[in-house]
Amino acid sequence: MSTSVVIKGNQYGIIVLLDNDMPFQQLKRIVASKFKEASHFFKKANMAITFEGRQLTLLEEKELIDIISENSSIQVICLLDNDKENEQHYKETLKDRLNALTNSYGQFYKGNLISGQVLESEKSIVVIGDVLTGAKIISSGNVIIIGTLKGTVYAGVTGDESSYIAALDMDPLQIRIGDILAKSSRKRMNQYDTDTQAKIAFVEDDYICMETLYTDLLE
Amino acid sequence: MGEVIVVTSGKGGVGKTTTSANIGTGLAKLGKSVILIDTDIGLRNLDVVMGLENRIVYNLVDVIEGNCRIKQAAIKDKKYNNLYLLPSAQTRDKTSVNQEQMKKLTSDLKEKFDYIILDCPAGIEQGFKNAIAGADRALIVTTPEVSAIRDADRIIGLLEANDIKKMDLIINRLRMDMVKRGDMMSIDDVVDILSIDIIGALPDDENIVISTNHGEPIVGTNCVSGKAYMNICRRILGESIPYLDLNSNKGFFSKLTSIFKSN
Repeated sequence: MSTSVVIKGNQYGIIVLLDNDMPFQQLKRIVASKFKEASHFFKKANMAITFEGRQLTLLEEKELIDIISENSSIQVICLLDNDKENEQHYKETLKDRLNALTNSYGQFYKGNLISGQVLESEKSIVVIGDVLTGAKIISSGNVIIIGTLKGTVYAGVTGDESSYIAALDMDPLQIRIGDILAKSSRKRMNQYDTDTQAKIAFVEDDYICMETLYTDLLE
Repeated sequence: MGEVIVVTSGKGGVGKTTTSANIGTGLAKLGKSVILIDTDIGLRNLDVVMGLENRIVYNLVDVIEGNCRIKQAAIKDKKYNNLYLLPSAQTRDKTSVNQEQMKKLTSDLKEKFDYIILDCPAGIEQGFKNAIAGADRALIVTTPEVSAIRDADRIIGLLEANDIKKMDLIINRLRMDMVKRGDMMSIDDVVDILSIDIIGALPDDENIVISTNHGEPIVGTNCVSGKAYMNICRRILGESIPYLDLNSNKGFFSKLTSIFKSN
């Protein structure tokens, strides 16, 4: 019994170990006979298959799958890829895509944040209420406050310097976007500024810039 | 080797934080390297009095838990390069820190600074115990009021029980006009009751309120309080300085107008 092709499997999947040195045509014949012998063992199963032990081209993989389907009643549902390099590549792509997706979603918080309260989130945050002095918001994404900002906000905390902080009444104690920190130049005694406009803070040239919100800016 | 001074009182609101800020700044002005530590966890306000509240990133609890180094948490003062502040946490409470941790922190800092000034919270529980854990000497702040003096007396007892032998008294918010009328205890009365050495007396001065609101310690400026605080700093350094006359110096014209005002 040649051990150039070894079939290893369970109820749901099969690993086909192939010899690396044997010429492909010969291998095909052995695969065919192996699966024919084992056909009544596998019966009409839906299986996932992995080929190991030999680098196969896509065409070769297809040929082997065809041979398996012809010689047994196995339904090959999918072919599993055990290649570590491919796995790593897919993992990173997936992570990036998911990150991009989560960044376009946010969380809502309804209510005021008072001194001593800390709101932490991995997603962007929209606060419907005021953030008073002594309160802190920490987010990996953007922070939008529909109200007064008098507290401390850290946006893009995991290093994303494209994050922004927007508020209807921007008077923060301290803001940080990514690694860049800006402190308020607030004069201590109350200066009632009745003409407050919605402002947005963002990073440009390693500085935090604050501008009044208008449509063109957001583009 | 630095000296660890704890500024305590027992009673709240007598002027510990203001005194810590001014003494720290005064000593820095006189050329010493100073670090102020706010040990009132949960109700921090030394940063506000120093005017540094918008520079806080890390705090005392972060340092003790090892989330950051002392250098990252300590904030350099706006005016003096040799003065630093280690702020307290706003969102934790006094159980976040224990005496052993404070002792270790203060002994680490002793090697880097000439003076380590700990602003103690009011009360006699965990916060107080944490603050006095590593202290070499204590400055007890009191006002010339019966309630404050009773609490100061208790504090003196607790400090002695904790082996802090070097204690000095600061009397805050003296109103010489009331003392003259007999409505308020004089410096001598207070020293008699508490039986510890006095190191300074401060008048009830509006300028102090203004200075704490602006976040600019008043020590070293030209008013009575500023001079009094500077004298206290000099006495801490060992100089012996005569006490200021705390009677408000009114010119002739203001004495005249005050006759017409008070009916």
